Amino acid sequence: MRSSGRSSLLALGDKYRIYILFVVVFAVMSLTAPKFFNVLNFTAIFNAVTMNATVAIGFTVVMICGQLDLSIGSVISFAGVLTMGLQPVLGFAGSIAVAVAGGALVGLFNGLLVTKAKINSFIVTLGTMTILQGSIYQFSGGNSISVTTDEVFKISDFLSKNIVPLITPQVLLTIVLVLVVEFVLRRTRVGRNFYIVGGNRTTAWLAGVPTDNYLNSAFVLSGVTAAIGGVVSVLVSTAATLKLGENSLMYVISATIIGGTAMSGGKGGVLRSVVAIMTLEMLYTGIILFGLGNEVKIFLAGLILAYVVLYEAYAVYRHEKALGQRPELMKELAERASAARSRKSAGA
Amino acid sequence: MRRLSFFFAALALAAFALAPAFGQGLTAAQQANLKASLAVDTSVLKSADGQQLLAPSKDNRKVPTRPADPNKLPETDPLHWYDMEWAGWNVTPTNIPKSPGDGAIGKKVIMIVHGDHPWTTACILGAQKVADMYKWDFKAQSPNWDLVKQNQLIDQAINEKPDMILLIPLDAKAAIQQARKINAAKIPLHMFNTLPDNAALNYSLGWTGPDDFGQFRLLARAWSDELMKRNPGASTIGVAYVQHNPGGSPFFARSFGPISELATYNRKIKTLVMASPTPAAFDANTTMQLVSDWLTKYGKDLKGICASDDSAQSLGIFQALEKAGRTDVVVVAAGNSKQGMDLVKDGKLFGITYQTAEGDGALSAQTAADWFNGKGYPTRKNLAQHVITKADVDKFYPPQW
Repeated sequence: MRSSGRSSLLALGDKYRIYILFVVVFAVMSLTAPKFFNVLNFTAIFNAVTMNATVAIGFTVVMICGQLDLSIGSVISFAGVLTMGLQPVLGFAGSIAVAVAGGALVGLFNGLLVTKAKINSFIVTLGTMTILQGSIYQFSGGNSISVTTDEVFKISDFLSKNIVPLITPQVLLTIVLVLVVEFVLRRTRVGRNFYIVGGNRTTAWLAGVPTDNYLNSAFVLSGVTAAIGGVVSVLVSTAATLKLGENSLMYVISATIIGGTAMSGGKGGVLRSVVAIMTLEMLYTGIILFGLGNEVKIFLAGLILAYVVLYEAYAVYRHEKALGQRPELMKELAERASAARSRKSAGA
Repeated sequence: MRRLSFFFAALALAAFALAPAFGQGLTAAQQANLKASLAVDTSVLKSADGQQLLAPSKDNRKVPTRPADPNKLPETDPLHWYDMEWAGWNVTPTNIPKSPGDGAIGKKVIMIVHGDHPWTTACILGAQKVADMYKWDFKAQSPNWDLVKQNQLIDQAINEKPDMILLIPLDAKAAIQQARKINAAKIPLHMFNTLPDNAALNYSLGWTGPDDFGQFRLLARAWSDELMKRNPGASTIGVAYVQHNPGGSPFFARSFGPISELATYNRKIKTLVMASPTPAAFDANTTMQLVSDWLTKYGKDLKGICASDDSAQSLGIFQALEKAGRTDVVVVAAGNSKQGMDLVKDGKLFGITYQTAEGDGALSAQTAADWFNGKGYPTRKNLAQHVITKADVDKFYPPQW
């Protein structure tokens, strides 16, 4: 009984690990970090995570499908440069549409190479990442691109202004996207099929799931959300810098893994990734407020990642051990196999 | 008696009302603070290399008139670079707060830099030395080269309502909105080190930092004289430029600064090639490969190299020169790191610019202190300029970073 209570507690801990981590970091920073616990600080944190949180939506779906998308950072920069670079010609509506469509096309290109050409997604998206980086430099001539009209300043001010405490329009957009994708993943057949594809692609195909379509959709979604992240970010800062998405790739990968999405696929969730991003951001903000340097931030992020990976390994070990601790099941299986053999020989 | 008491009451009231006018609106405590602040002498401060921390600039060039369209002028014309070289001189101040004039002592100042680097550490140390003199509540924060993070730090700094924000803009163009935001929050802003877009300076009290163009014009002249000395009688002297990261002002200042200077100072010097090592501008190996290619292509025609950095880039250049067995190439660079100064001392690098990191941070802090003290605020103030050669390199040891 005691053991059962302990294991169900552990199971709960497993299930809600990222939320527990979030609460712990929030509590520790609120109690210890100077000027951490105030509405203005949380508004700044929310605004700061919008880009990476938006990007993490599509990235997580790709990882649930058991794939990787290394091109997200380049898509962010690419979309940003297109938004600002094409604005004088197309206006913001046109340039944003082209940027998001560009992200979708990059995603489709990645997806088709993975599904049709059967190339590993790591290799495919590494290639796309490099091609895009070159294109960005080519398009921008090596310079940041900005639009300095009153219109862009008004858009920037609007996106950064609170509509209710803590929530600005850029944050609201991310929340809506997260909730929609999370709902689709959890509550619809289409969403559950992404998990099935990631869990075992062959089984999914045998069950009649069009696996290629799901993989392509995941990559397109990743391209679109990365592009949206880039677009919103450049609209807020009013300038597209060439290195905008440079730090996002490692950040989003770490957060997605910390959030509990398995690299092997079939497990995870968008909300969990976003909560992990929030957790990391609170940690980083706390470190800054303590006046500590970047090296501490890298160290702690690495520590959390290592903890999560070790914990995952321990969870697998416990699971396998639990299976081994039920000899009656193994005995039953052996008996059934023996009975089947007897029936077969009697029949012969 | 009643009239008399009424008279004294009125007199007291008038004195109370007029007192601020006589003391510029300051209370007695503020006046005492101002007096104490004005007595602080920061000229005694020294940087780690033993130099005066706040050395005055000897640059007395007059600001030229802006051409109608600088972009129409050739790149070899110094005025083509007018908007970069003279950024900050022609601004339209917008909602700039007035100095409280109540003294610099005890102010709360937040410094936001661009990223973690030994140079930045030295820069913050310089500012801290001035901050300590004025007993500031001072903190420096770094976004580690991430623009989104720098925007967040700015939001957080605004929330803390400091008396001043000192900012190194991470991106010249993005600096406009950053400055607008701080200005809208009615917090005084001072930008330093990297030059922002001219429009950003409309919202800033001013800018201080190295005059990259000016420094490289100075360096170019010294470089040219040495090239002429080593190549007497040559009709043309071929040179190359290893550029900075594309996009920022140093990318242009450290190549087109000397090019446009030499176009008038010494027409015998011809630019053969210029490029930024890719994918990493500040990587010795990448620079070595780039320069090796140049040495193969141009051979003995390549007589001089101007680098944007005196550490990684310069090390790469000398690796390439050693492999090619060349000792005749005159190399100059932006300085002044330990590696660069060691190369100057060894006689490898002919000259480097003196870019005091501590002085950069200190000058921004001192300019802010002057503003709190009610002194005039310069739109732009350059750091002192100097070219370090073997003749005087020993004076700059130990290096700042």
